[in-house]
Amino acid sequence: MRFPHRPLVLAIAATIALPLPILAGESELTIVDAYVRMVPPGSPNTAAFMTINNSGSSKHKLVQAESPVARRGELHTHINDRGVMRMRQVPAIEIDAAGQTQLKPGGYHVMLLDLQASLKEGDTVPLTLRFDDGSTKEIDAAVKKPQTVMPAGDGAMKH
Amino acid sequence: MKNRALLIGLLVVLSAMLILVIGFWEPQGPPTASSVGQQGRLATAAPPAGGDFTLQGPRGPVALADYRGRVVLIYFGYTYCPDVCPTSLALIAQALSGLQASERQRVQALFISVDPQRDSAARLQEYAPFFHPALVGLSGTPREIAGVAAQYGASYQLQAPNAQGQYTVDHSSATYLIDPQGKLALTLPHAASPEQLIAAIRRHLPPIDGR
Repeated sequence: MRFPHRPLVLAIAATIALPLPILAGESELTIVDAYVRMVPPGSPNTAAFMTINNSGSSKHKLVQAESPVARRGELHTHINDRGVMRMRQVPAIEIDAAGQTQLKPGGYHVMLLDLQASLKEGDTVPLTLRFDDGSTKEIDAAVKKPQTVMPAGDGAMKH
Repeated sequence: MKNRALLIGLLVVLSAMLILVIGFWEPQGPPTASSVGQQGRLATAAPPAGGDFTLQGPRGPVALADYRGRVVLIYFGYTYCPDVCPTSLALIAQALSGLQASERQRVQALFISVDPQRDSAARLQEYAPFFHPALVGLSGTPREIAGVAAQYGASYQLQAPNAQGQYTVDHSSATYLIDPQGKLALTLPHAASPEQLIAAIRRHLPPIDGR
């Protein structure tokens, strides 16, 4: 069989091979404590939180997050403007070399917009995280109810 | 050598300041009517007074006056709020859960929607108890909500909708504490901890009847 479009074939082959060295770098990033906040019935949106550790020697950026449970995933942060909380989409969330970035309530978070089903406590939500080097990470985030009981050990009542 | 450079630097800065002052200083002319009005308004901008209001609750009108004799916590937000409101309401819920049962009976928490177009009283009834059964959600007409927000110094601003017609609302995220006499006693900042809330509540709790 002949290849009439040899340059094209080469280009495709190169594209397929390209992510291989990138995959090696992927292990520099580890994600811990990922969870999705359970929201009241009928709420169309929720947020995912996690800590991203970067053991590598170069900075990484989280550029996209998606989940099959939501029609859209966006990266957001909050700006506390003299007491007014302004939520804004951000193009990327940076993780410094040998550093970590926390996605947490009131700060950076992955917005999951237009939920396709209501999430129950104990459910697991798959998330696909894409980084600026083209690498991706598939993680599972547990659905957690916002804490409504005081944590023990603060002199508060235990339940 | 170092001292000399420092001295020169200082001289440069001071001369620059002098030039700025000479160049831009304009002695105030006679005030115009409009500037007087504006300055007068700003000068008299008192801290928010709080005060009574009536809004729509899950079973009809709810008035702040209904809760005389109790400490009332008020939080302004909206149910489509993706992060800030759930975070704040969870903190308030934790505070309520951390109170003794006898204290909790003398405390009421209210969630007032700044997005009344989407947040009906019925929707709020689904939303608020998710955080704590004692949390009551209130809605009203946009005008009523604006009035109550102004009374308490809460601010909010609807943002431009996205392609799907969804919008977010920027809003202040304070928790207002109203004492048993109905007076705005304290404004707690965004992300006040349950411990801070409990301490503030206990400072204002009325004594238990019959003791």
